[in-house]
Amino acid sequence: MGLSIFDSSFIMEKVKKNKPELTTEEIVAKYRPVVSFRVRKSLGSGTPDWEDVVNNIIVNVIEKLQKGEFRGDSSIGTFIYTITSRRIIDHIRQKSKVLKHAPEPNPFLAPYEEIENKERAEVLTKAIDKLKPKYKEILHLYYYKELSRGEVAQRLSITPRRVSERINYAQKLLSKIIKK
Amino acid sequence: MRICKFEYLIDDYLLGKLSEDKRAEFEEHYFNCPLCFEKTVQRDELISVIKTKGSSIFQDIQVPKEEKRPSVFESVYAFLTPREWATAAVSAALLLIVVFGVLPNIKATSPDFYINDDRVRGPSITLISPVIEDMKVIPSQFRWQGLGEDVEYKIYIYNHDLMWSGTTKENFIVLSEETKKLMISGEKYSWQVKAFSPEGILISVSSRVHFNISPQQ
Repeated sequence: MGLSIFDSSFIMEKVKKNKPELTTEEIVAKYRPVVSFRVRKSLGSGTPDWEDVVNNIIVNVIEKLQKGEFRGDSSIGTFIYTITSRRIIDHIRQKSKVLKHAPEPNPFLAPYEEIENKERAEVLTKAIDKLKPKYKEILHLYYYKELSRGEVAQRLSITPRRVSERINYAQKLLSKIIKK
Repeated sequence: MRICKFEYLIDDYLLGKLSEDKRAEFEEHYFNCPLCFEKTVQRDELISVIKTKGSSIFQDIQVPKEEKRPSVFESVYAFLTPREWATAAVSAALLLIVVFGVLPNIKATSPDFYINDDRVRGPSITLISPVIEDMKVIPSQFRWQGLGEDVEYKIYIYNHDLMWSGTTKENFIVLSEETKKLMISGEKYSWQVKAFSPEGILISVSSRVHFNISPQQ
């Protein structure tokens, strides 16, 4: 079972440190959350076997590193990104062959992960509720209604630049409220 | 706080608004940029919550109705915040005060320049008469604008070369009959005034004005 991006604060700390030379373990620790995120975005977190895909990618990366296939022509990040993209495409091709006539599987999440995600969502929901109306309004229009920056700006009689600034500030406020 | 040039793509990536190429470019970027990756994860979490719980979170939000297209004035007004407008107005007012209130009261000092190794300073001398090009009679009096007391003026009358010169402390000089006799009808003349300080320093020079004396019929 792979680590979720939500319960990997240790790994997130490692990701922030951009060491020049990393061991295989450190590379796995650093890039697992990134690979997980990319896979979830491509396959959808409701796909039951997304974590298997992540594990396959990580194993593939380690194998290639041990075989010396990474020669430093690109950054290690780009190297892992390329492997991840190829494996995702392979997985989708394979699935579309196998599941051509099969019913859609139900979204699946590990129980602990589901609880953790629910708790975090609750905290975030309460934090959004504490925001001033002008920030809630902008989150509502931009993320919930999915209006463009220009449309939001027009509705609120502000500039598109101010829309971006207000969204970024709302995100900062939320992080502050959650950390309290 | 550091800002990455790819940061502006985070929202569009998460909301599926990027083209295929841009999406791939951004994905490769966050594999290499921990800062953008962290921000993308945070923003993704926020968007996920808003998408799933938005109806309850925003139930008390009154959606502003789509307004008519703003006028040019409204667009210009919305370009800055009220505070920024106030700052701009104060700056503009200060600029106007400086341009129209202060600058005209600053008298520029007269430039120094050199004529034949003499340093010349002060305003130039304005000649008053004769300044008409065609004179019917030989002028007997030459007048210019004075520069103040204790200034000595030297007047030069040229034909082709210097014909006559005289000195006075007044702002005019009357030619003697002998001098007038030197001037002939139909000839072309010019005159110039130079001003000297009591110490004999050249302080100002007029322009050289030409005049003709019409032939007598």
